[in-house]
Order: sequence, then C-alpha cells, then structure tokens
Amino acid sequence: MLIQVLNGIVYGGLLYLMAVGLVLIFGLREIGNFAHGALFMVGAYVAYTFSGSYWLGAIFAFLILAAMGVVLDAGVFRPLRRQDHMITILVTFGILLVLEAGVTLVFGKDIRSVPAPALLSGTVNLGGSLFPAYRLFVIAVSFSVAIGLSLWLRYTRTGLYVRAACVDPTTTAVQGVDTDRLSLLVVGLGAALAGLAGAVAAPLVAVSPSMGAFIVIESFIVVVIGGLGSFGGAFVAAMLIGQIHNFGVIYIPWAATTFPFLLMMGVLIWRPTGFAGRRI
Amino acid sequence: MSAEPMNPSATRRDWTITMPVALLLLAAALASGMAVPMMIASSLLLSLALQAIIEAIFATSVGILIKQNGRISFGQAGFYGAAAYIAALVVERELASPELAIVLALVIPTALAFVLGLLIVKIPGIAFAMVTLAIGQALYEVAYKWRPVTNGDDGLAFSLPDTVFFLDSDIFLSPASMFIVCWCVFVLILFGYAWLSKSPFGQLTEAIRDNPERAQFIGYSITLPRALIYAFAAFVAACAGVLFSLYNGFVSPSIAHWSFSGAGLIMAIIGGPRLIWGPALGAIVYFWIKEVAGDYSDAWPAFVGAILIAVTLLIPSGFGGLLVSLFDRVRRR
Repeated sequence: MLIQVLNGIVYGGLLYLMAVGLVLIFGLREIGNFAHGALFMVGAYVAYTFSGSYWLGAIFAFLILAAMGVVLDAGVFRPLRRQDHMITILVTFGILLVLEAGVTLVFGKDIRSVPAPALLSGTVNLGGSLFPAYRLFVIAVSFSVAIGLSLWLRYTRTGLYVRAACVDPTTTAVQGVDTDRLSLLVVGLGAALAGLAGAVAAPLVAVSPSMGAFIVIESFIVVVIGGLGSFGGAFVAAMLIGQIHNFGVIYIPWAATTFPFLLMMGVLIWRPTGFAGRRI
Repeated sequence: MSAEPMNPSATRRDWTITMPVALLLLAAALASGMAVPMMIASSLLLSLALQAIIEAIFATSVGILIKQNGRISFGQAGFYGAAAYIAALVVERELASPELAIVLALVIPTALAFVLGLLIVKIPGIAFAMVTLAIGQALYEVAYKWRPVTNGDDGLAFSLPDTVFFLDSDIFLSPASMFIVCWCVFVLILFGYAWLSKSPFGQLTEAIRDNPERAQFIGYSITLPRALIYAFAAFVAACAGVLFSLYNGFVSPSIAHWSFSGAGLIMAIIGGPRLIWGPALGAIVYFWIKEVAGDYSDAWPAFVGAILIAVTLLIPSGFGGLLVSLFDRVRRR
C-alpha cells in the first residue's frame, strides 16, 4: 500500500513539474503552451545524450531548456501577447510538431532508455517493502522544486512581481515592473522545469519523440482542476491525479486513464474555475 | 484573427442565394460527383480521393467549432473514432442490424457531445482546447485499453452483411461506388452547414461567439446554442468516422488518437475556418503535403508545423480566404 502511494507521488511529482511550468507561462503571458510536452521530451533526449553522466544530463536538460524558454518567450510569446488565444494555441501546437519532427530526424523513432545513476540504482527498505532509491529521488526533486518555488514566490521581491503579474500584467507594468524581462525569467524557468521533468522521468519511461503526449494531457487536466493560474492548486491537483492514476492502473487498468478525465469533468461541474482558481 | 472582420462575407457584397438556386447548385454538385468515377478509371486514385473526402468531412467538423463557436478543439478524433468503433462493434457482434448500427454510430457520439457540450462550452479558449484534448484522449484510451470489447491495439475487423439499406453492401467496398457515397455525404453536409450558418440560429451562435455577455444580456441562452453546435460538429465527425469504418471494414485505436484531431485542426486552419468550404480545401492541401513531403522525409510533420505557424501568423483567413480575396480583386477590375 505504502509503495503504491509512493508511486503515485512519483507520478504526481512529475505532473507537478510540468503543470507548474504551464501555470507560470499562463500567468505571465496568458498563453496555454501546447508545446510543453515537447519541451519535456527534449529534456529527456538531452539526458539521453549525456547518459554517460546522469547528473550532467539533468543539469544540462535544465539549462538547455531554460535557454529554449528564453528564446521562445522573446521570439514567439512576446510578439504574440496581444493576439487572440486561438493564435497562440495554434502557434505552440506548430512548435510541438516542429520539435517532435526535429528530434525524430536526429535520433530516429526508436525507443531509447536512460539508465538511472549508479548512486541511486539500488532499493531502499521502507518498513519491510523495497522501493527503488531513484523513485525517492524523483519525489525529493519535485518536492524541493515545490518548496523552493513557493518560498521564492512568497519571500522575494521578484517572486512578488511574478505573483502580481499573474494577477494583472498591465497594472504591474504600470507600477514600474519590467514584465517583459520578468517573463523571460519566468518562461525560461517554466521550460527549464519541463526539461528537468523530462530528464528526471527519462530512466522511468521509454524515451521516444512522442513521449510528451501522455504527460502533457494529464498536466493540462491538473492545470484545469487546480485552476489555471494557481500554483498551490497545481500541486494539490498533481498529487491527487498522481494517486488516482496510479491506483487506477493497478485496480482497473482498462479505465485508469479516464479517471483523471472524469475528475476534471466533475470539478468543472462543481467549480467551473477549478479548486483554487478565480480564472480558468 | 481578432483583427480580421469576423464574418468575411459581411464586408463583401453579399450574394443572396435563393432556395431554388441552392437546390440547383446542390443537384449540380451531387451530379458532378457521380460523374467522377466514370472519368477516373484508376481505383487507387479513387480510393485516395475518397479518403481525402472523408478527411475533408472530418476537417469540416473542426471548422464548424471554430466558425460558429470561436473554439479550438483538440478532441474531434474522439467522436470520429467512437462512431467508427460503434458501427464496427455492432456489426461484428451482430448486436443489431447494420442499418441500426449506422444510426447508433451517428446518434451516440452526437448525444455524448451534446451532454459534454452543456458542461464545457462556457470554458474560455485555452482551457477549452485542453479540455477537448482530454475528452478525445479519454475516448482513445477506452478504445486502446478496453481489450475485451475493442480488441485493443490489434483493432477490430468486421464484414458487412450482403445488403445494407436495401443496397448491395459491395457499394461500400468498391472505390468507385464508395467515392459517390462519400461525395454525396460530403456535399449534403456542406450544404446543411451553409444553411445552418446562414439561419437565424447560426447567426445567433456567431453573435455569442463574438460577445457572449451581450448576447446573454439581450436574453438568449448562451450555453444551449453552443452545446448544439458542439453536438453538430461531433455529428459531422461521426459521419466521417462511419464512412471510414464502412469502407475499411477495420478500426484501430489510432483513428481516435489526438494526433488525428490535431491533423483535422491543421486542415481547418490552413484552409480557412471562417469559410464553409475552407476546412475541406485545407484537407486537400494537407493530404497533398503529406503525399509529397512524406516521400522526401520522415520529418514531414515539421514542414506541416511550419506551414501551420506561417498560415496562422501571415494569412489568418487561410488559403481559402486568400482565394476569395484574389477572386474579389479580379472581379472588381
């Protein structure tokens, strides 16, 4: 039982890393980043490229994706900020196709695997049952990110600006905050977290150009349930979906993937703006 | 897209098409389709053409949501796949007559979409796209994972009985006759859609699309009309799904996958979703790109993605809109 719950937290943690990036990008730019799954996938491929040293791979995944995020914000999101939502959805969808095809061109369609680092390849004895050490590491990573991010948002000046800009970018800009510079940082961070999630997930899943799809769809569900634009909501919803997904897979495998969806529909009926959110 | 006039026909001189003219056009369109198999002998070519028509119907379904509701859906393949599977399952298990199977395959996805629509049409743009993606994928997962019923990844093959709707069932299998069937369905859907779009109901949904608050303030329900449009779009997708199922006699989960929804969306966008026939044009362009670019490289989706981005940013009215404005320019001379 404990093992199952932990497995759920592992998956929930990955979902959180994805969802919080989506929330950050939506908060600053009002853009639903449909290419987020592709960023996750690129992160996993960076880890694969550096699979000689796992740690180097994870760090590079974070840094390279951060750079991609900055480029994305300056080159795509900023010029589109006054456009209709529809346009940004379509453009990010186009970016997803280009990234997936680009990775296919370089690495091919074959499934790759990334070994877990030697240091964490063993198992840990938790009250009589064995649990892979690497999975505990995944939990640790996602929780550290969650804690670090909330501390940053709550106690630093930049964090204050980010929270303000998420509520109302225009007023925040009027108060003298350079929201464009802020958004470079925030979109970079969101993309970097997607890359980190990809690198961290790489030893657990099959690495392939289309690997982003499964996680991005559940991340969207997390974001909708948590309330688009809510950081705390994203964490709670990610943990919830992680558990539901995991128990579903064990007990009712054929319907497992529809449970998060049903929960989402339920939440939409009950509270159309999500758990925590004012706006969706 | 927001800078564009919402209804391109409003800015041009409106051609009022009276009912008799419309019926004449309809008859001409149907007849011209019947003539095609007489001119093209190659059944391979006809088979490709009829698949393109099925995809054109599917793209139209995505276009309906964009034009009437101003919403992007990433989940239409779910309804397409559901219809294809229902037809296949009912026929294969002999749960009912094939005629009833076809009716059920059209009615169930439409009803499902209507109920879901009542819940989700109020959700604004980005979240709506996410939610439809989740709906489509949930339907895909049912097809993929519910092995005892759907046969999972292996797919489901079935064969039609000798007669369907008093017709020899070979009609649905031979490319020449199936082309005519698909063409007729396609033409009827386009005419029905054009009529719906022009009707007071169609105008109402466009008013809600442009300004829901004001439409509500005037006293209209803003949920029901949009849910009906969502259901109509699902019905059109279901028509395409049934045609696919009948022609192939085989269904597999990939037809419900979100990448097919995405393909339908790309077709609608590059063709011009504000035009009735835009998505269908886009389907033909897409089909052609896939055939040509697919020969050169596995990376053809990158090419499609680049075209999608370029069309979205540079010609928001799509290739169809481009054609219309060229035509207008020529006419004004």
